[in-house]
Amino acid sequence: MIPRRNVGIEPLWKIRARLWARSLRKNWGLFWESRIGPLGLAIILFFVLLMVAHPILMATVWDPRVYDPVVGFDRAMVGRHPAPPSWAHPLGTDPIGRDILSQLMWSTRSEFALGVTSALITVVIGTFIGAVCAYFGGVVDTFFMRLADLVMLFPFIALLMVLRSIVTLDLWRLALVMGVLSGFGGITIILKAQALTVKVKPYIEAAKVAGGSAFHIIRRHIVPNIMPLSFLYMMFNVTGAVFTEAVLSYFGLLDIRMSWGIMIHTAESAGYLGAFGQYWWLWAPPGAAITLLCFAFYLVGRGLDTVVNPRLRKR
Amino acid sequence: MLRYIGWRLAQISVTFFLFLTVVFLLFQAMPGDYTKQFIMNPRIPPEARRALQERLGLTGSVWDQYLHYVRNVFTGNLGISFQYYPREVWDVIKERLPRTAVLFLVADLLAFGVGYPLGKYIAWKRGKLSDYAVTVTGVLFYTIFTPLLALILLFVFSNVLGWFRSGGFLTPSVWLRPPVDPQVVFLLLAATIGGILALGGGIFFLTKRIGHPRPRNWARRSLILLLLACAALGWYRSGIGTYAWDIVWHMFLPVLAVTLISFGGTMLLMRDSMLEVIREDYITTAKAKGLPDKVVRDKHAARTALLPTITNFTIGLGFIVSGGIVTETMFSWKGMGLTYLEAVLQQDFPLAMGCLIFTGILVLLLHLVVDVLYAFLDPRISY
Amino acid sequence: MPLLDVRNLTMHYVTKMGDVHAVDDVSFMIEAGEAIGLVGESGCGKTSIALTLLRLLPDNARFLGGQVLFEGKDLTHIPEEEMRKIRWRGISMIFQAAMNSLNPVYRVGDQIIEAIQNHLPISYREAKRRVSELFELVGLPPEVIDRYPHEYSGGMKQRAVIAMALACDPKLVIADEPTTALDVIVQDHILRRIDEVRKKLNMAMMYISHDIAVIAEVSQRLGVMYAGCLVEFGDTVTIFKRPAHPYTVALMSAFPSIKGEKRKLQGLPGEPPDLLQPPLGCRFHPRCAYATAICAQRAPRYEEIEPGHLVACWNPRSGRA
Repeated sequence: MIPRRNVGIEPLWKIRARLWARSLRKNWGLFWESRIGPLGLAIILFFVLLMVAHPILMATVWDPRVYDPVVGFDRAMVGRHPAPPSWAHPLGTDPIGRDILSQLMWSTRSEFALGVTSALITVVIGTFIGAVCAYFGGVVDTFFMRLADLVMLFPFIALLMVLRSIVTLDLWRLALVMGVLSGFGGITIILKAQALTVKVKPYIEAAKVAGGSAFHIIRRHIVPNIMPLSFLYMMFNVTGAVFTEAVLSYFGLLDIRMSWGIMIHTAESAGYLGAFGQYWWLWAPPGAAITLLCFAFYLVGRGLDTVVNPRLRKR
Repeated sequence: MLRYIGWRLAQISVTFFLFLTVVFLLFQAMPGDYTKQFIMNPRIPPEARRALQERLGLTGSVWDQYLHYVRNVFTGNLGISFQYYPREVWDVIKERLPRTAVLFLVADLLAFGVGYPLGKYIAWKRGKLSDYAVTVTGVLFYTIFTPLLALILLFVFSNVLGWFRSGGFLTPSVWLRPPVDPQVVFLLLAATIGGILALGGGIFFLTKRIGHPRPRNWARRSLILLLLACAALGWYRSGIGTYAWDIVWHMFLPVLAVTLISFGGTMLLMRDSMLEVIREDYITTAKAKGLPDKVVRDKHAARTALLPTITNFTIGLGFIVSGGIVTETMFSWKGMGLTYLEAVLQQDFPLAMGCLIFTGILVLLLHLVVDVLYAFLDPRISY
Repeated sequence: MPLLDVRNLTMHYVTKMGDVHAVDDVSFMIEAGEAIGLVGESGCGKTSIALTLLRLLPDNARFLGGQVLFEGKDLTHIPEEEMRKIRWRGISMIFQAAMNSLNPVYRVGDQIIEAIQNHLPISYREAKRRVSELFELVGLPPEVIDRYPHEYSGGMKQRAVIAMALACDPKLVIADEPTTALDVIVQDHILRRIDEVRKKLNMAMMYISHDIAVIAEVSQRLGVMYAGCLVEFGDTVTIFKRPAHPYTVALMSAFPSIKGEKRKLQGLPGEPPDLLQPPLGCRFHPRCAYATAICAQRAPRYEEIEPGHLVACWNPRSGRA
């Protein structure tokens, strides 16, 4: 509770900060109670650790000539690549003598960069369009809803496969394309539905009466109220982006130097996937990493769902 | 209801036209016209290229090309595949489309059959250990890297257990001197599945008016068993049963893979939708009526929760199709996905374009089926 | 033996902030064929009592003690399967939100038939005939039996829900705010209809409402609840003539009487207490104009001050004849 007598003396930002901290505490409690959310968060933190540890290891223990994820090569083991896990290479080496663990850790960074960038673009576009559609309705609404139908119709991976013949897709371009495309997709429908429930609230009417412009109302009243849902969908979009990148890399369709998908692609194109159990270290670590990261972001999304959507909570 | 379906049909047609246009523009954006691949191919004479250009209207203005293209799509005149020269694109698609359709149909039905009861069950047990365990498992399968899942399935079922061959559409050694074309056998199989589904649905609706649940369920079960028995007997007596069985055998792993990656979606949707429905007053009323817990759960909560699950199902369709492309590739199941991937990799653009268009049609048809189903299930749609 | 004998019923809701003392030491009786009313502000535990009787409480409710004797059987201790048979057949309920008490995907008639067939061994056809009788009883045309809830108007839904509650000839019907969602004219009409049916079928009825004037019309005895406690119970006439608890007095002056003389309406100062930390002693004492020192220290006993008139108050206003 805010002691009422303090309002006059205390600066507004302090009160805001305290309110914010309080709602954060409450929401964190709900998130924690979902149990699956924290599990996802723990996995993500684990990957963050891997990401941070890589440059440190490269600077201290690992010799860059041997352990560089792209151009490294272990001369001491010539002829024995791909080598199974050993003390020198905890996850073994790939067919051309590079350290798997180093590749795995190094790629974490680009996966995060890709996933978060793409999801951020998606959410910014989706939130804005959702809010605009809900506020204005009419032709604008119809247009964007049909567009969303259309985007949902395209199997993403199929579309990107063609796009790749038109432009070379490096990491950032891929993030941009995926972000923009899914921003106009299903997310606008969901966010618009949410924005519609906000639009009928009395304070929107009050803001209109007070002479607020459409842009002002969208920015200050509608968008903040659909933000939690946007944030939630951002998590699902990270999953989607990481997954799509991995599949495309696996087929060798991307212009990326190293990623988890490419690691499996390397193993496959060198013919090591046929003998399945024999060269497990070539596919299992990157495969597991892709799965775990997608899994983790999805779980965090579901955990946030119980925070954002009161109907899913326990009574 | 007819008006609702008609309205959805109109919407879907508009979407389809937009889709066609986008595909057209996409291929327009490619450097050069897409017959340029024919120059490099020694097997294809230059006259053939010119003939193809003529046929696809690639010589005219962009607008002419577009009109040509739309007309060609509706007449199945999609040009010649470069990869399978001199086969027509339509010819290739005609062969591959049923394979994908059957794979998806069977897998999605199975995924629904698994996801729906599981979602219902875990929502009822919310907060219990089984809820967490099943949710986490479902999410894991839903987000698993599809090639990894395929590799694991192949390893377990063909390397360790030795039950299945490692992929493909059929076992060549079985088909040395087949009395019929494999495609015919496959189409017959597809027809059988479709027939069973249609008749099963018919049985369901016919028996709906039997008041008491016990004779109703008994009638349903026995009639469906009878139907399945008839189908099995028919295939057994047909003389091509072994060939059909070979194809079914090859379908097993891809179907399993698609089922596993997509059941989680239905399950989680169903769970959330159930959790919302459980809070409704009519659930308390149903309990107060003294109905057994199972009846409240299955008849009152799950049946109502099914509606939003069905509508949300379409949002995840694109994801499932993407998963399908990967699955087909991993199991060398020559459906639209694999054909498309190969066409893109070989720059066989007429074929790639055809695949994209027909995948779109397939997805749209699914949307339509879902819409019709929804209209049937929701009594509130009556206009 | 009374039809229903509730003794010292206590029930809390467990929340993150602590226990909500929703029902505290409540005792009352209902005779067969009798109509009683339970009155109190919203959130005072009326609905919680009803849900406790039917054992339909949400997961976070904790039953802490007391007995619910229905025809001599303690409903709090019988197995779930046996309880299931008592629901609707023994005790049925008209829920507060009748609008949402019908499942939107099933025909209204089928939802009633379902209840009938669940308890009575009769055929679908017979059950349907019964439904049309019930519809006639509550004033619904029989042709709407096969319609879906969304095709019903609010008043029709309300009637259908009442018909549903009567479907298995229950011995006791709990009507939780049966008419709040309706306009005044329909309200009165429906209440009268329920009362007629009750007399005809000789059922006991427990009305729950926040509006003392409305249910006084149809109940023979009244219970007044405040903050989870039953503070006064007695004959409707007695309570109107000689209200003993200060809260009852306040409650009666807060509503205009339909028939009574014109008088000034009075509000009650203060707010109902936070049931997470109910006040010590008498729960009403912070708002009571007649509170004395003891009121804040010890809860008053719930005792008879004249035959059939029970009050929980240290300083009852009148009645002590």
